[in-house]
Amino acid sequence: MTALLEMKERLKQIYSKTEVFIVPVVKFLLAFIVLNTLNDKLGYMKQLDDMTIVLIAALACSFLPVGVLVLLAAAFSVMHMYALSLEVALVGLCMYLIMYLLFFRFSPKDSLVVVFTPLLCALKIPYVIPIAVGLLCAPSSAVSVGCGVAVYYLLQLIIDSAPNIRTMGDEEALAKIRMLVESFLANRAMLVIIASFAITVVVVYLLRRLSVNYSWTIAMIAGVMVNVVILLIGDLLYDINLSVGSVLLSSLLAIAVAKVIEFFRFCVDYSRTERVQFEDDEYYYYVKAVPKMTVPVSTRTVKRINSQRTRETAAQAPGSRQGSRNVTTERVSSAHNGSRTAARPQSRGGERRSMTIGNASNMSDQYDENENYEEWP
Amino acid sequence: MLNEERIILMTRMASYEQGEGRKNVKIGNYFRSDYITVQVLKSVISAIVAFLIMFGLYMLCNFEEFMKELYNMDLLAFAKSVLTYFCVFVGGYGVITYVICTWKYVSAKNSLKRYYHNLKKLGSMYKEQ
Repeated sequence: MTALLEMKERLKQIYSKTEVFIVPVVKFLLAFIVLNTLNDKLGYMKQLDDMTIVLIAALACSFLPVGVLVLLAAAFSVMHMYALSLEVALVGLCMYLIMYLLFFRFSPKDSLVVVFTPLLCALKIPYVIPIAVGLLCAPSSAVSVGCGVAVYYLLQLIIDSAPNIRTMGDEEALAKIRMLVESFLANRAMLVIIASFAITVVVVYLLRRLSVNYSWTIAMIAGVMVNVVILLIGDLLYDINLSVGSVLLSSLLAIAVAKVIEFFRFCVDYSRTERVQFEDDEYYYYVKAVPKMTVPVSTRTVKRINSQRTRETAAQAPGSRQGSRNVTTERVSSAHNGSRTAARPQSRGGERRSMTIGNASNMSDQYDENENYEEWP
Repeated sequence: MLNEERIILMTRMASYEQGEGRKNVKIGNYFRSDYITVQVLKSVISAIVAFLIMFGLYMLCNFEEFMKELYNMDLLAFAKSVLTYFCVFVGGYGVITYVICTWKYVSAKNSLKRYYHNLKKLGSMYKEQ
């Protein structure tokens, strides 16, 4: 565990030093993967299905806000739909507009969720999303997850209907629209998955906020179970052809990913939980403080003392000291040195105080990040 | 001599100002009623546009049936039902917006109150020095 914590601290250090480069590179890679997947899956417009265009678009996304990636992905998909049929593009555009007007007004920061959900659905690992969102975001993000699932099923519907649409003539424009809209609204699998993901997000969020020990682990396991149960009930009721094996495997993967997220986001040591009680003029406070597991990455100072005679010095100044002591001091980051102290608890309110300078969203979040305060009866 | 407590407080406040605080200050500049009215108005406009898009899609899907039944159907009853759906949809969306914006405004105000309290604390620290 100590080695993992050291690695985490090192990663944090590396990230804080090279954040300026890492963030654009990650955004570039994400945009590249998203746009490339879109081109692979849809790919009806040959002009867009070109690596140069994808690279230019991804490069633009790397230094622009994440919202631009959503916009570009939507634009790419609508253009592919247009190449397939004008009516399909119209339906796609209307769906995107409805989602934008009704849902994204309340959660504009969830652009990444909207991008990741269809991407992970396409990669056949969708059950990671509700657990991760429940752990990291607010319950309102359930709306974004639902929109992401709807986008995935819309694109899937278009891919499945493409051969039929191609065979239909221009005079059957209304029939194309009708077919798409009715198939989309009658997609029971989509509705079941939207419902299960939304409920899972809320359940995970509520459980991870509880003041019980290991709340994050409880939340992720309960979330996975709720998700699987709702999906199975949906499968029984509406016969959505769900593969139980793949659901279970994907759920196990979701737990593994959630544990990684927990390690980086909420790594606390419940064995050193402290309960304190104090008062001021207005309130009595019953505080439960759970310390974070941290490892100070220490710096080791190596002092090299070399006694040697320097002939040149002796020749130039015969009256002076014949030998010179050459002292070299260098600082080496040591992981092993810190590992012993790492396992030991840091005393709260002791001499060592750490200060976090970063993108803390607000004051309350900052308090939460330092220590997990909560009331106890 | 560096005052560690003051530096921590200033860092937290600066981080707040650059992140969540910027949005909250914008919200805090409004009176409660003004903020909620503007947001509800925006939502109502969004809901109207969204309803028109949905109604347009519905009409496109059922265009042939609608044209066949045009001379036999009760147009007034049809218009009445469409208007009912419109009112329920736009009204419902407006109510949801009202609830969410009220909650947002209250939490932003509370957050700003904590921020100003810290600002006052910082001022008193400077005076003590």
